[in-house]
Amino acid sequence: MANKRNATIVVALITAAVVAILAWRPTVLIYGIQAAGLYASIAIPMGLILGIVHIVNLAHGEFMMVAAYATYMVCTTFGIDPFVAMIPVAAVTAAFGFVIYKLTIRQALKAPELNQLILTFGLGISLTQIANLVFTSQTRKISFDYVSASVDIGELSFGVYNFVFVLIAVLMVVGLRLFLTRTTTGKAALAVGQNPKGAAIVGIDVDKTYGLVFALATAMIGMMGAVFITRSSIFPAVGSPFTMKSFCLVAMAGIGNIPGILGASLLLGISENFLKAFRELRGWSDIVFFVLIITVILGRSIKGKKA
Amino acid sequence: MKFKSSYLAVAILSAVVIAFPAFLGAYPLNVARSIMTYMALAISWDMLLRSGQISFGIAGLFGLGSYASALAVLRGGMDPFVSMIFAALLAGLVAFALGFAILRLRGMYFSITTLALMEIFRIIMQNLHDFSGGPEGVVIPAVIFNGSSTALYWLCLAGLFITIGVSWYFEKSKMHLALTAIRNDETSARSSGVDIFRYLLFAFVITSMLQGMMGAIQIQSYGFTTPDTAFDANFTLLPLAMALLGGIHSTMGPMAGAVLLGIASEWLKLKIPYGHLVVYGIIIIVVILFMPQGLVGLARRLMRGSDTKGRKAGATHE
Amino acid sequence: MSKLVTTGLTKAFSGLVAVNNVSFAMEEGEILGIIGPNGAGKTTFIHLVSGILMPTSGRIEFKGKDITYAPAHVRSRLGIARTYQLIHPLENLKVIENVMIGSVFSRDKSLKEARLSAEAICAELGLERLGRDTTQLSILEIKKMEIARALANEPEVLFLDEVMAGLNSDETRQIIATVQRIARERHMAVGVVEHVMGVIRELTQRVIVLEAGELIAEGPYETVSKNPRVIEAYLGGAA
Repeated sequence: MANKRNATIVVALITAAVVAILAWRPTVLIYGIQAAGLYASIAIPMGLILGIVHIVNLAHGEFMMVAAYATYMVCTTFGIDPFVAMIPVAAVTAAFGFVIYKLTIRQALKAPELNQLILTFGLGISLTQIANLVFTSQTRKISFDYVSASVDIGELSFGVYNFVFVLIAVLMVVGLRLFLTRTTTGKAALAVGQNPKGAAIVGIDVDKTYGLVFALATAMIGMMGAVFITRSSIFPAVGSPFTMKSFCLVAMAGIGNIPGILGASLLLGISENFLKAFRELRGWSDIVFFVLIITVILGRSIKGKKA
Repeated sequence: MKFKSSYLAVAILSAVVIAFPAFLGAYPLNVARSIMTYMALAISWDMLLRSGQISFGIAGLFGLGSYASALAVLRGGMDPFVSMIFAALLAGLVAFALGFAILRLRGMYFSITTLALMEIFRIIMQNLHDFSGGPEGVVIPAVIFNGSSTALYWLCLAGLFITIGVSWYFEKSKMHLALTAIRNDETSARSSGVDIFRYLLFAFVITSMLQGMMGAIQIQSYGFTTPDTAFDANFTLLPLAMALLGGIHSTMGPMAGAVLLGIASEWLKLKIPYGHLVVYGIIIIVVILFMPQGLVGLARRLMRGSDTKGRKAGATHE
Repeated sequence: MSKLVTTGLTKAFSGLVAVNNVSFAMEEGEILGIIGPNGAGKTTFIHLVSGILMPTSGRIEFKGKDITYAPAHVRSRLGIARTYQLIHPLENLKVIENVMIGSVFSRDKSLKEARLSAEAICAELGLERLGRDTTQLSILEIKKMEIARALANEPEVLFLDEVMAGLNSDETRQIIATVQRIARERHMAVGVVEHVMGVIRELTQRVIVLEAGELIAEGPYETVSKNPRVIEAYLGGAA
């Protein structure tokens, strides 16, 4: 049937593209995959919240920024490694997210959908500016030896540390799949995501589920904040590009499709690195996500018109 | 009689505002210009909001207008006044193209795409070194009116009057019915014959033109801009906070909010130099949670409360 | 020529077929009853005809013109109007403005003309004090406003979706008389979805019966109500 043939063509094209890139400049593929891992790990929590609570948190990137700064404080004060600090930081971020949810987002849920946009926008700005007040706009960084780990294959030499993000992203997808399909709480969350009124009728506490999912997603972002600081310097506005790219990826994959975020991230990561390979085009790599999301939106609205 | 007295009040107020340069010095006039710019942006943001669409792209379109005007003068030899019209038209054209692509999906897709606008335009201007001056920005040969603060004030005031006029037109014409119907219930609106896509596109284009126009006025008044200053996120943040605080879905509300916050911001900048913007973020949160109708809405409710005595007995209440 | 014709109209929602191969016609001046058990697809059918939903297959013709995929607002302008079961008044507009919208956007009237038309329609329906907020209306008044809203389109085909629900017998009689008068005076074709069979018996000349999305019977109420398949569909018989 037509669909199967289309799928085969797409797979063939992708394989051809991958082989071509590998032959021409393998680092594009390698760094692209690493970047994809980073983007996916940050986008998946947003996908979880969008898919189940059906809200967009425009302060998403800022939550990660807060966690990163918290990790920075903990690590510089107590001298421990971020991967160790990750657990308490994730827990604290989750609690923080839960409190924010209870105080603010839950109210806006009763009001029209668009209020949450403005509310979380204001939240994001407030968090960025508070970080500005406390830490100033000076960038902070912690250096670790393991970050510069690299591997040599023939003439090729590349950093491997960033593959940790790919690992995290895959773990997230697998973990969430298990949680949502095998545990009672997870199945309840799925039900709430598909039909909140129906779920309430069968006795699921929708509000509690929302709070739990929000806390879980925020814990994941918190964890990402801790890992993020191991390889990047941070500053108050570091989070906002990730909010937009995360939304782009979630939109590309389709709301509710968490594994799809991996594929979308690969497309974004590799395209960006493809552009970065050309010195003149390097500055344009940050536009890729915008082109992607416009394409996706255009495609959907055309398809919607025909239906 | 009520009708006439409000028109009279508007006329008197306008006369006073126009006459400001007669008794205010250069510094207060500059502050006033800043407030008026934000006020115009707040009003234009509200105009689209009345349809239910939230744009986070004010800074993007404003900056686009700045660059369009500057580059038209620098690279195209355009007359500064003509460049302002050109900038508005270009902003409108960009909004048309973008709106055509994303307004069918609306809601969060529209809002987040507009949020990305300022970043995208900033990156574009930063990368096109030869054309746009890259990260160092552009300088135009001369500030308009040779920098006379009175003339610059009147220029900005003209932009504001145009914006207020268009917003007022939106309130008095069938745009009001269309946008409110779309906001309240799209299905009902559609069943009554409202071509939702067309009206949203129109509103988006018009408000973007106004924002581009203000950007052009800005750059002509200051003489230079860079990607960071043209597309400064404050041009989105402050108008939002002002419109929300004053009271959305009206012309009066954003105006009141702009005056209040505009004056407060001068004071805030001195008190909290680093991160005073947090106040605006908090204002947004507080207004959404506790007073979504803003100050004007609050005032209206208080006035209506004192009116109930005049109601006829037997009015049906749900 | 029939005012409205559907041929094999079908709507499927990935697996669930809500409207299945429905073919029928509506004539000018007739009041048609549309009945069927809950979930039979009556409202979905009206959504398809009014343009809120697009069909999966089939054809819709209005006065001979193919409108199968025409958007809802275009159909309003052509002359199709409907009321909604779950009425969402436009809460930020006054009552009169709620009604005016149809005149302004379906008939391109100026605000002034539209206001006059709307006032006339409301007077016909007995709806008063039009400067009120929609939150201050009684159920009967909300129903009247909803009908007024649809009439402001100046439609040639009008669908009333369970307009009588929640009204007492006096109020129901009022609306019945109004609908009969309006249909006659304006030469409209009216489709009435109702669960109260007394209303159907009194108001309509012809009835179509839907069950599980299919058209299972057609004819005058007296005939249709004795149709065994119809009785079975209602599990125990009609009123």
